[in-house]
Amino acid sequence: MKPSLEVRIAGLTLRNPVLVASGIIGYGREYERLVDLERIGGIVTKTVTLHARAGNPPPRICETPSGMLNSIGIENPGLQGFLEQKVPILRELPCAAIVSVEGEDVGEFCELVRGVDGSGAAHAIEVNISCPNVGPHGLRYSTDAGMAREVMNAIRPLTRLPLIAKLTPNVTRIAEIAQACEDCGADAVSLVNTFIGMAVDARARRPILGTVLGGLSGPAIKPLALAKLWETVQAVDIPVVGMGGIARPIDAVEFLLTGATAVEVGTAMFANPALPEDCVGAIEQAVAALPSAHVEDLIGALEVPEGRGVIRAGKAARREAGRHAS
Amino acid sequence: MNLVSCSVVSNHEVSAGNFLITLQVPRSFARPQPGQFVHLRVGEDIEPLLRRPYSLEGFTERGALRAVRVYFSVVGRGSGVLARQEKGTKLDLIGPLGIGFTPRPRRVPILVAGGRGVAPLLFLSRRLRERKRPYVFLFGARSRTDLYGVREIRGGRLHLATDDGSIGYEGSVLDLLEREWTGARHTPLTAEIFTCGPHGLLHAISDFARERGIRCEASLEGPMACGVGACRGCPVPLLPGPDSGRYPAMCVEGPVMDATIVDWARLP
Ligand SMILES: Cc1cc2nc3c(=O)[nH]c(=O)nc-3n(C[C@H](O)[C@H](O)[C@H](O)COP(=O)(O)OP(=O)(O)OC[C@H]3O[C@@H](n4cnc5c(N)ncnc54)[C@H](O)[C@@H]3O)c2cc1C
Ligand SMILES: Cc1cc2nc3c(=O)[nH]c(=O)nc-3n(C[C@H](O)[C@H](O)[C@H](O)COP(=O)(O)O)c2cc1C
Ligand code: FES
Repeated sequence: MKPSLEVRIAGLTLRNPVLVASGIIGYGREYERLVDLERIGGIVTKTVTLHARAGNPPPRICETPSGMLNSIGIENPGLQGFLEQKVPILRELPCAAIVSVEGEDVGEFCELVRGVDGSGAAHAIEVNISCPNVGPHGLRYSTDAGMAREVMNAIRPLTRLPLIAKLTPNVTRIAEIAQACEDCGADAVSLVNTFIGMAVDARARRPILGTVLGGLSGPAIKPLALAKLWETVQAVDIPVVGMGGIARPIDAVEFLLTGATAVEVGTAMFANPALPEDCVGAIEQAVAALPSAHVEDLIGALEVPEGRGVIRAGKAARREAGRHAS
Repeated sequence: MNLVSCSVVSNHEVSAGNFLITLQVPRSFARPQPGQFVHLRVGEDIEPLLRRPYSLEGFTERGALRAVRVYFSVVGRGSGVLARQEKGTKLDLIGPLGIGFTPRPRRVPILVAGGRGVAPLLFLSRRLRERKRPYVFLFGARSRTDLYGVREIRGGRLHLATDDGSIGYEGSVLDLLEREWTGARHTPLTAEIFTCGPHGLLHAISDFARERGIRCEASLEGPMACGVGACRGCPVPLLPGPDSGRYPAMCVEGPVMDATIVDWARLP
């Protein structure tokens, strides 16, 4: 039987569960010759803001052990520029195009969602309520369940496109924010965005990044990301898109097993542009080994031995109950 | 630009801490221009995480065989790993990337190199020689042992400077440039500058050029993640001017740029 890798996130059907994360390959064109987009599920665009942003002063990136810090500052052409310059590119993509947006307030989020919806080029919208790099606003939405609710409630009526709320891990209880988004009509949540981090040059007695703080990504954060994913999949019923530190093909399988319906590949692609395709290969292999040969039976199939003191709640508990019943 | 696998043809230490590595590349690797770079994966492991950008010191083509050369210094983890890669090792690289030097017709190119910044200028000087164009090469380094490649510089006029006076003029290559400019009576209409080296030196040279209205291209360095213009991790700060509201990406709008519009003070 040919393994079936198709997954669904509300109205969005992906040919396989591998996406490229926001901020990694721009709008697709930059990596045209390096990735075979026909082989992956889709890409998430660089986050688009209402007004064009020049981004932060240099240095914006710094390599750290098994990871990197970035403080790009969401350099992007703004909604108008996106509609004029990037939408034609997205229309040509041979995979799903998920457009990431971020507003400085609820009104901006609404304008962005209306604009992206109207462009006709997006298969879904990733609502970035999690960027650590744009000062007080981004983090306020991402760390406060009340604010997340406000944004989701305001944008939900504006579009029929699937809305994926992207969450920050820089909170005590990520499940609370995920639940708030679910309550207010999010079709899925994706996590994690970067962890706030910092690097210091001792000799120069200076912070290395121009903005002092930045977002940590790459293999260094994978265990942290898996833990946040684990917490979240138990708390919500909507699909969860997992990411953070995927660097080897098998990592993608780990995320699916933990409960992610799809994964996003980020930083490690800079070293290995073929990584998303390789992840598809690894998932295909894992699925082929299943009796059903269907990816759905890989998702959340992590076997946690009884009596380990694991908290079971939400989806996991319900699935468990269902399994016992049948 | 392509992602290609490559194999180490040779890798040796030409002076303390400085290596010349030759990498065989397939035919799908396009002919590079002097000043362009490759984004090299220095080893198979996940560590170090990112690729390393290196300017090309040269490109050779013999029959169906293509090879690129990189002249590099061991300064950290990635270059340390690269220095240990032996003949036959398979690596991969993305390239050729970025914008190279663009000499204009009928002007004397003055190449100004500082230390290991000589690499892309050696490539340029060979190209100029092939085209039988006269040029001036000014090369400064700490000491005579750091003057890599001087014997390669043929078909042009060469002047050397060392900080310790072990050979050539004792002092900065900037002094050589000032002397050359006045001594040879160059004008902005008859000559132009191409430079690569430490940013402090490039800053001084670009000031020299701007004050006199000389066209001056410099090859910049800075950390890069993607190398292809996607991540926006390599911004170049510009001086106030028509274009200063944005940060060009060093990897696609550079690494060779008009030195006189770069805000060197804000470039780390
Ligand atoms: C376009 C371009 C061309 C270059 N050409 C050459 C060359 O011909 N010869 C040569 O010796 N070096 C060259 N460099 C610099 C070279 O890329 C760095 O020396 C190298 O990346 C250092 O890596 P490392 O792991 O040894 O050092 P580490 O200090 O351990 O590196 C840590 C991180 O910082 C980055 N980094 C640190 N210093 C630099 C720097 N100056 N430029 C870019 N990234 C840096 C590294 O890439 C890495 O991600 C060039 C850089 C650029 C951008
Ligand atoms: C250079 C860079 C730029 C990023 N830009 C964005 C962005 O614009 N919007 C966003 O939601 N996430 C952005 N991210 C976060 C990634 O999408 C991802 O959530 C994070 O890097 C964790 O995954 P990884 O460890 O696989 O990279 C960026 C990450 C990096 C490294
Ligand atoms: S390194 Fe990614 S844009 Fe230049």
